[in-house]
Amino acid sequence: MESTKQFTSLLDNSTLGRVERMRLLPMRRLTNRSRGEHLAGKGGTSTEFNDYRDYAAGDDMRYIDWNIFSRLNRPYVKLYRHEEEMHVVILIDASASMRFGEKFEKAKQLAACFAVMGLMNLEKVSIFACQHAGQTPQILPPCTGRMSMKRIFSFLENLPPGGDFPIDEAVEAVLKQHRGRGVCVVLSDFLTFGAMERPMNQLFSAGLEIFGIQLLCALELNPELSGDLRFVDSETGMTLDVSSVGDLIGFYHDHLGGLQDHLATLCRQRNGRFLCMDAGLPLDTMLTDVLKRKGWVQ
Amino acid sequence: MMGTGLNLPGFSAMVNAWWFLLLAPLIIFYFLKLRRPRLEIPSLALWRQVISDQRVNSPFQKFKRNLLLLFQILLLCSLIISAMQPYLSTGAEQARYLPVLIDNSASMAALDGPNGKSRLDLAKEKVSKLIEDLLPDQRICLISISSTARKLTDFTDNKRLLNEAVSRLEVSQVPSRLEDGLRMAQAMSLQQPIDTVVLISDGNVPSEIEFELPYKLNFQKLDFAAANVGIVDFNARRSRTGWDVFARVEGTKQPDGDKGPPTAKTLCEYELLQNGQSIKQDTFSVEGGNAERLVFKVVTAVATSLELRIKPDAFDSLSSDNVAFLEIPAPRPLAVYCPMGMDTYRNALSAMPDINLYPGTDSEPKGVDLKFAEGPLSTGPEARVLFNVGFVPDDLSNLVELVSGQTEVVDWRRTAPLLQHVQLLDVQIADDPKLAKGVGERDFELAGYEILAQSRSGPLILERSNDGRLEYQFLFHTDRSSLVYRVGFPILVQNAIQIAAQRANLLDSKANPTGALPPQRISPDTGIHLTGPHGFAETAKSDKDGTITGLGAPYVGLYEITGGPEPLKIGASLMSSGETGLVAVEKLHFPEVSVTASSTVLKTDQPLWGWFALAGLFFLLIEWWYFQKRPSGVPA
Repeated sequence: MESTKQFTSLLDNSTLGRVERMRLLPMRRLTNRSRGEHLAGKGGTSTEFNDYRDYAAGDDMRYIDWNIFSRLNRPYVKLYRHEEEMHVVILIDASASMRFGEKFEKAKQLAACFAVMGLMNLEKVSIFACQHAGQTPQILPPCTGRMSMKRIFSFLENLPPGGDFPIDEAVEAVLKQHRGRGVCVVLSDFLTFGAMERPMNQLFSAGLEIFGIQLLCALELNPELSGDLRFVDSETGMTLDVSSVGDLIGFYHDHLGGLQDHLATLCRQRNGRFLCMDAGLPLDTMLTDVLKRKGWVQ
Repeated sequence: MMGTGLNLPGFSAMVNAWWFLLLAPLIIFYFLKLRRPRLEIPSLALWRQVISDQRVNSPFQKFKRNLLLLFQILLLCSLIISAMQPYLSTGAEQARYLPVLIDNSASMAALDGPNGKSRLDLAKEKVSKLIEDLLPDQRICLISISSTARKLTDFTDNKRLLNEAVSRLEVSQVPSRLEDGLRMAQAMSLQQPIDTVVLISDGNVPSEIEFELPYKLNFQKLDFAAANVGIVDFNARRSRTGWDVFARVEGTKQPDGDKGPPTAKTLCEYELLQNGQSIKQDTFSVEGGNAERLVFKVVTAVATSLELRIKPDAFDSLSSDNVAFLEIPAPRPLAVYCPMGMDTYRNALSAMPDINLYPGTDSEPKGVDLKFAEGPLSTGPEARVLFNVGFVPDDLSNLVELVSGQTEVVDWRRTAPLLQHVQLLDVQIADDPKLAKGVGERDFELAGYEILAQSRSGPLILERSNDGRLEYQFLFHTDRSSLVYRVGFPILVQNAIQIAAQRANLLDSKANPTGALPPQRISPDTGIHLTGPHGFAETAKSDKDGTITGLGAPYVGLYEITGGPEPLKIGASLMSSGETGLVAVEKLHFPEVSVTASSTVLKTDQPLWGWFALAGLFFLLIEWWYFQKRPSGVPA
């Protein structure tokens, strides 16, 4: 049987087909003023009926429901929902720490999935990849429409890992470049020496709902280490001598759990979401068994 | 030596504690040169938090994390403590020089049961324990004691040497006598400070010991052996028709307080052999603690050798006393030499039977049994018993002077064999031996003489045993005394005849005890070779008189002397009631003190350096394993 040519190396065609039918489910409707696919809370001019109200002098006569007027002999104005555009910002941590395991690969695949969902929902999608501290993140400018899919895939496919950009600083750097409300998907391991409160606040203040996805490899989730080791930080090159590592694994798990709880709390307090995933999981499992079940996408 | 309190460890080489200073560089170099595999991880963020966790930084966790350092410290400490020579004090006073007297007399061969251990084996175990627990600055000297003492080693801490000496030690089948060993230890105390002497014995020793103890005696008594039956006496007396042979067999008696093995009536088989041929076999029974007397009649006109063997039907702990040897001489007249001038003596001798008197009709032999002489330059044959009358021998000339004068006997030893039934009271003597100025009885003793009778001014009759020859010295001439007119004179001559006959074994004969063979007479200046049981061999040379003395006989059995005119066979038997009875004394009585036996384990300080060295090796192995163990999870 002749094999079908893959549209992108990030996703196979079947997965891409399923992703195209998925939609992001933000908890709040943080939209831009410009018209889009997302219904705004206020009334608008879309085709989707919202409510009736009494006619008031000055209302557009075209919106009076004549059928009701004929039955009740009183004018009522039909109200329609207002649809606004939502900005999907995807922030990929492309620092050296993401090289371990399948973290970076999965981050790019998830970014592609979220971007496809955004594009297929006629959202503006922009991607930021943060590598080296102090440098401007690599940016894929906001793009919309199915036609931009190839551009997004190309950007992600050519994205190399490496660098020492901590995620807390990366968020700040991204927000300097970005304007617009919507959803910010942060794909990172969130292993940083800095505090995450400030970047979370900034995201929240910028009108972005936080979709925090922590991707960790097996070495981080369940390190099977023992003996005396000298740990070398992949980003900074700093070393740390640790003796009897095997005896400290329990404490490590405690701190990892604490970090995840802390990040989840930060996101939740800012109307966001947080999820930790094993980068070793298959992408389909991530999409269907994790994101869909948890109501991140539909 | 440093000592600490009771049951507290002490250190013999405290100066080595300076090595503990090595701990400082060890710790420094540990942290400077710690070899850790590098492992690149995504981020140190979490591990930093883990390391700074309060729980991780508890002292125990810190030690746990630095296990390698802990092992290195333990290894170094173990080695240093080992070098400090620790010992566990038992509270016993420490002796730097410790003589150990090991009883190896005949009774030490007694077993505690069939295929059991001998007393000597138990003694060796105790000595081995002492050697094993020897502290570095302690020296041990091993001395074996039987009838004499023998130094096995000098004071040494060489355990190999000491153990070799212990393993070489064998039972000497002779009765025990402690004095020599105690004196040897006393002599050693002149060279080294000796506070305590250890005596390891089965307790089968004389309880009364004539020795002033200059040190503490630690008497380690061994456990009791099993019951024993043995021959304690074997002798013969001449009868009209031949020889009456007597043997005495004893069984062990259970000591007081139900200690030791119970004794019961034992049935024994015996066999009497004459010149190797069995002449009688029978059985008898002997009760524990009692003796059984066996009597045999042996008719022989020539010299003969008797051997008596007993075989108890029950277990017998000591085998060396189950055989005894007896040499019976050929019957012959007593050869007496009495010069023609000594008429009084010749008259007295002429009336006595079984005597060949010389000079006479027969040719004069080379040696006689008894010789009378009245001058220092007497001629005549050699004799076993000398009876000198009327002169002062040369070796006493500076002690006593014979002058003319009247004297009488003021005191004499009535129990001496020569003077038995001889009344010397009121005997008038025309010669007066006078002591030189400043000379006392002690000077005669030093010269080897024993005074048998004395006047107011000096000794009259002396006795000396010299090279197996018995000499009686009358410093006055009996012809110039009223003794010859009294009934005591023929009795005196008869006593001399009896003594000579006994010395020639013509009246009776006793089994030769082990230890030393009786003096033998062969040709003068002749080298002989003595062989005996258990491969015993010795060479000796006769003196100018043809006498050989001091031939050793440490084992029970037949000894053969070759190299003389004709080979001689002499048997040696244990013949010790004490050794056969296995009587164990609980207390040794010395003139001023008594020493109670202790059957408990000898208290010695336990050296601990070996344990620490072993611990060091253990820590070294653990550390090496831990050091070589590659941390898991790190790619090769």
